[in-house]
Amino acid sequence: MVKVDGYEVPEGLYYSKDFEWVKIEGDKVRVGITDYAQKQLREIVYAELPSPGTTIKQNEPYGTVESVKAVSDLVAPVSGTIEEVNTEVQSKPEILNEDPYEKGWLLIIKPSNLQAELANLMDFNKAVEWHKSLIK
Amino acid sequence: MPRRIVIIGAHAAGVDAASAARKTDRTAEITLITKQRQAGYSPCGIPFVLGRHIPSFDKLIVFPQSYFQMMKLNLMLETTATNIDTKAKTVEIQDKTGTQKTLEYDSLILTTGSYPFVPPIKGREKQGVYVLKTIEDGKKIDQAIENSKSAVVVGAGLIGLETAVAFVERGLKTTVVELLPQVLPAMLDADMAKIVQNMLEEKGMRIITGHAVDEILGEEKVTGVSVAGEQIPCDMVVVATGVRANTELAKNAGITIGETRGIKTNMRMETSVKDVYAAGDCAESVHLVTGRPTLSQLGTTAVRQAKVAGTNAAGGYAIFPGVLGSAVTKFFDTEIGVTGLTEFFAKRVGLETVTGTITSKTRPEYYPGGLPIKIKLVVEKETERIVGVQMIGGEQVTQRVNALSFAIQKQMTVRDLAKADTAYAPPLNETWEPMVLAAEIALRKLR
Repeated sequence: MVKVDGYEVPEGLYYSKDFEWVKIEGDKVRVGITDYAQKQLREIVYAELPSPGTTIKQNEPYGTVESVKAVSDLVAPVSGTIEEVNTEVQSKPEILNEDPYEKGWLLIIKPSNLQAELANLMDFNKAVEWHKSLIK
Repeated sequence: MPRRIVIIGAHAAGVDAASAARKTDRTAEITLITKQRQAGYSPCGIPFVLGRHIPSFDKLIVFPQSYFQMMKLNLMLETTATNIDTKAKTVEIQDKTGTQKTLEYDSLILTTGSYPFVPPIKGREKQGVYVLKTIEDGKKIDQAIENSKSAVVVGAGLIGLETAVAFVERGLKTTVVELLPQVLPAMLDADMAKIVQNMLEEKGMRIITGHAVDEILGEEKVTGVSVAGEQIPCDMVVVATGVRANTELAKNAGITIGETRGIKTNMRMETSVKDVYAAGDCAESVHLVTGRPTLSQLGTTAVRQAKVAGTNAAGGYAIFPGVLGSAVTKFFDTEIGVTGLTEFFAKRVGLETVTGTITSKTRPEYYPGGLPIKIKLVVEKETERIVGVQMIGGEQVTQRVNALSFAIQKQMTVRDLAKADTAYAPPLNETWEPMVLAAEIALRKLR
């Protein structure tokens, strides 16, 4: 894991420019928001997430995350069908602030076009560069 | 069609208004316009960058570009709002290339801020004379410090003294000149101000009160100032004699300006014109003790007003009850705080008061590291309500000021405060809380 000006960027993940991460787990992917996103939003109070079975499309909003002072759309980093939703995030949204890459995951998705869509995401090295540009 | 919200200004008040608007209406088109090159930074932090407590000016950026992206806020930098037509509900804007455009709005929020007021001192146009308002100003002053050995600060208000402290910390021979007979005249009574002045003088600052700067000396560049017949040599001058509300745009649009020269607003932060709101340094508030309009011009007031303005502008409902002017600062190792009215200002609005002043410590005598804390409580005679407090201490001033701000807001009497239940442990506090002791002293004068 690398820290860019205090923002954590773990290795082995893919990143979208909508501040989400993607972790490939076999034929499924796990997604969540980045450390940078949770730090910008600050004290998160609510996450509005779709139900399992919902299909989502890359670059389209699928939910919102709301903090004491801010609110932001959650934008799908990949297309697919939602297999699982992290219900713990809904009951304890503060885990998005505490642990955005592990306990604070949002969805497990069965991707429909992963190989092609990965090209639209950043790998670790690109994500580090992108984070550097964000803090300029 | 989505609601169109236009916000003029993009700092504390502008961005917080935009955030509140976005939280209220997820689909609104929200546009922020600012003349400046950088949006969403904390100007209050600038003196602490100059003093090297904060490593760089970039650190003051509270809301980076990505925040605007996340919140879907359309930010227009280096763009000036030139005219508002409240009938047609449009704002004319001009970008840095001179291109003009007309924006239509459903709700408009004026967060136009304030500008530093520079009194007409002879020689004020000379090189080396600065004001401190924006990051650009801060950077210029930072550069000037590098090439200076001495400085004069005109004005001993919060910004003036915070800047003067930074100059001393950076090794400049520093003189502060204040027209009124004391430092922090808007914040402290003379007796409390004297303590602050003595402390600053012990740290090597020279402070001249009760005199104006008659002239800024030098050919093209500043070489000194003339005060009461004395010539004080210096390499740079910072004028910090207060800020004035930016109300030109509002005034030209026929929006009512209040007696404080800020934009008049109601409890929903709406101006005299429907669907036009105001917040921050440009907007009036009601003082919670006097019930009169006041121009608070503090960061906390800005964001509290902005939250209300943004919510209402987006179709929600929120009210702004008013201000007590709660403020704190830190000069070297000393914390200074105030809330409500000073004895002086209470008298000026016709209140008869008693005061309770105590010097105590932040920990018991036997526990190492305790620091002095001085509290002056101002109490209205008839109702026995606390109407103000001033505090100077080595630590733990802020939360005591906040506690007494809550007390004043809830109209607590000094009798209640003298009986208040407080927390204690040797490493953290005295058994008898200093605020309670101050209340007991004030109470004795009421018997």
